[in-house]
Amino acid sequence: MNPFFKNNDDFQTPQWAKGLSQEGKAAFLGIGLPTPKTEAWKYTKLRELETDDYEFAPLADKGAMPKEEFPFACAKIDFLNGQWVKTSNLPQGLTIKPLSEAFAQINQIADIQNYPFAALNSAYLEQGVFIEVAANRQIEMPLVLSYHTIPENRNLLENIRNVIILNTGSQLDLVEYYSYTGEVKSRYLVNQVNEITVKENAQLNHYKFQNEAYKANHIALHAVDVETAGTYKSFCLQKGANIARNETKVKLKGLQAKAQVDGAYVMNGWATLDTTTDIEHLFPQTTSSQLIKGVVGGDAKGVFQGKIHIAPNAVQTEGTQLHKALLLSDTAEIDVKPELEIFADDVKCSHGAASGELDEEQLFYMQSRGISREDAKKMLIDAYLEDVFARIENENLRAWFKDLKQNS
Amino acid sequence: MSTKDQPQIIDESGDKYKYGFVTDIDADTAPMGLNAEIIKLISAKKQEPEWLLDWRLKAFEFWQTMTEPTWAKLSYDKIDYQSLYYYSAPKQKVAPKSLDEVDSELLKTYEKLGIPLKEQEALAGVVAVDAVFDSVSVATTYRAKLAEQGVIFCSISEAVREHPDLVKKYLGSVVPYTDNFFACLNSAVFTDGSFVYIPKGVRCPMELSTYFRINAKNTGQFERTLIIAEDDSYVSYLEGCTAPQRDENQLHAAIVEIVVLNNAEVKYSTVQNWYPGDKDGKGGVYNFVTKRAACRGANSKISWTQVETGSAVTWKYPSCVLQGDNSVGEFYSVAITNNHQQADTGTKMIHIGKNTTSKIISKGISAGFSNQTYRGLVRVSPKASGARNYSQCDSLLIGKNCGSHTVPYIENRNKGAVIEHEATTSKISDEQLFYCLQRGISEEDAVSLIVNGFCKEVMQHLPMEFAIEAAKLINISLEGSVG
Repeated sequence: MNPFFKNNDDFQTPQWAKGLSQEGKAAFLGIGLPTPKTEAWKYTKLRELETDDYEFAPLADKGAMPKEEFPFACAKIDFLNGQWVKTSNLPQGLTIKPLSEAFAQINQIADIQNYPFAALNSAYLEQGVFIEVAANRQIEMPLVLSYHTIPENRNLLENIRNVIILNTGSQLDLVEYYSYTGEVKSRYLVNQVNEITVKENAQLNHYKFQNEAYKANHIALHAVDVETAGTYKSFCLQKGANIARNETKVKLKGLQAKAQVDGAYVMNGWATLDTTTDIEHLFPQTTSSQLIKGVVGGDAKGVFQGKIHIAPNAVQTEGTQLHKALLLSDTAEIDVKPELEIFADDVKCSHGAASGELDEEQLFYMQSRGISREDAKKMLIDAYLEDVFARIENENLRAWFKDLKQNS
Repeated sequence: MSTKDQPQIIDESGDKYKYGFVTDIDADTAPMGLNAEIIKLISAKKQEPEWLLDWRLKAFEFWQTMTEPTWAKLSYDKIDYQSLYYYSAPKQKVAPKSLDEVDSELLKTYEKLGIPLKEQEALAGVVAVDAVFDSVSVATTYRAKLAEQGVIFCSISEAVREHPDLVKKYLGSVVPYTDNFFACLNSAVFTDGSFVYIPKGVRCPMELSTYFRINAKNTGQFERTLIIAEDDSYVSYLEGCTAPQRDENQLHAAIVEIVVLNNAEVKYSTVQNWYPGDKDGKGGVYNFVTKRAACRGANSKISWTQVETGSAVTWKYPSCVLQGDNSVGEFYSVAITNNHQQADTGTKMIHIGKNTTSKIISKGISAGFSNQTYRGLVRVSPKASGARNYSQCDSLLIGKNCGSHTVPYIENRNKGAVIEHEATTSKISDEQLFYCLQRGISEEDAVSLIVNGFCKEVMQHLPMEFAIEAAKLINISLEGSVG
């Protein structure tokens, strides 16, 4: 019996989601949970997911949501155990609705036939938000989606689905923030799908910080369509969870559409942190760039799978990708699969991947100047990650992320 | 297109592929199809010992449980393994005792292919050749000369009879029959190939070479090559292949196993020029090859150089298993696909020993409607401290309808390892072309000039005679790709 459908008696699909739910369940049972033989999941083993029995998060007490303080002015939507509980400080030009009022937009971008976890997410569609930025509105304040989990002793399954639309000429900074309270050994699974449309000349800057409990699992898919001259920029910092995958699939669907997909991961313990990207250049003069850096210690495993696809006739395109990882221990592991798939001739594409350890000479140099080995290591790691962080445009957010990297 | 135009096109591609002729020779052919009886028949024809037949049958049994892999970026019609002939040999009444007794038709064939089977008097720049025609080796030159130094160079069938201990010890030790679908098929039905043994401390006095030719219709060629380099030895080995021009696809599934012991070095060069099919993608050889070298000894070295211009479909990943400490693996590749050719090729570098180093230089050129994929693996095991890898994969696209793909896998389990991978894809820049045209060089010559420059890094690793042939091949392969 599939662990995800064992204890689903309590789950009540709302009326509006019934059709989508059935479709999702059929698709998920059809594809099944990925195995090590599934090429797209070759390096991230999900066997542990199967041994858990999942419970659906009951509507939690709204009062239990801790007041998360962000060091910058922001609009905020709070989620508790996957449920939307509160909205605060909404600026003009931003429309927020429950998904039930916008269900026609669901699965328009996410492909549930090829993404098993998007199918599972559809099967348990219940809540989520629909976010729309009005045309030509530049939203100054970042919008924070704060997801909090209080698992207690349960293996909660949280399925979150958001639909985000940026209309022509609009701009938004979106921040996703994940946290939990309770035992660090809490187990739960966050399974999230974001469906994002960036219309003509619009720009979305998408930031994410993932710091789940160290036995929890986190799987997220961001399916993004970028139209003519639109820009999608993202940065994801991953630190927590047992198995976590942040997957970004961008389709550049108009002339001069742009994507920048960056990420950093810092890990220890037993975790497997997976960053997967797939950028499809479908139109001429589209550009994309990716920079992902990781620091892997303990028995952890870092995974990077990045793909640049250039469709026939998508000429005068440019795609670059660089992944670098630092290994800190003898038992750490790094698996990388950067992929280029090119069907047009007038393109410039490149990818690079490198992995290595901290330079002993540099460490020695610093130690000989009175810096302790530990401090020297920290400084070198910071320096190693600096260039990814430098690509965060918003100064407040850049400082905040640097702080998160250090302290949480 | 009217039927009138048809022959003209065939002629055109015939010009390009000058090895497309068929030798009219009586052949001794096994019945069509594949079953245990056929395998027993092949084994009996080769007068093989029982252990080898048992091994073949085990492989066949295992093969029946396997499914053909589909992960490569290749699309081709399903191969019907029962409609092929698995054994075809030119008829000879008595086995030739010397080169003079080899069928003159065969000698003529090889002469036409530019492969001299006559041993020349002059010793400068000579190459010893093992010529394999369909399922059998027809001649091996310079054997006596090589034997003086203890080098064994003969067909694998002879090796099975004359050096059974060596064959038994090493056959299947690098590529076991369970390895993959095509290797398993080869283990069951392999017919001939070359065997090379370089004794301890010997530097092989001449280049060794094997020339493979598929002639008979609907015949699969399954050759198997085994090279053993004992401590402190060195050998440079060349391989070439051609096939007649036919409308049907022909299957070629080979295995090359190389064992390199302490301080030994093997250099393996291939110029693969199987019939690539015509302009519209009709016919051509399906080339599914498993090549692997095990650097078992400390300080051992293997260097693969390949120039891949032929075949309708290529599936080939010459690999290095770097077991010995300080062992070195190198892979230099130029792959050119034109018209409707497809190639999925690359390498595997498995670092097991300490301070092992590997280098991958891959240059891919796609033109016409062809598709090409570089697929490679670099794996550093936890014990391989100090391992070092550098990979560079460059692709050049000529024309709007071709594709070029890069799929490297990098798996690092050792913090002391340094791994670097770089890949770029681009087209011939207008500026480069303009520069050449301006100086009165025709467009076609300019393209070949630029392409040769692009491949230079790999070509310089080929032995002299091969390099010249390969450079010519590149030009021929790209004919008609511009304008």
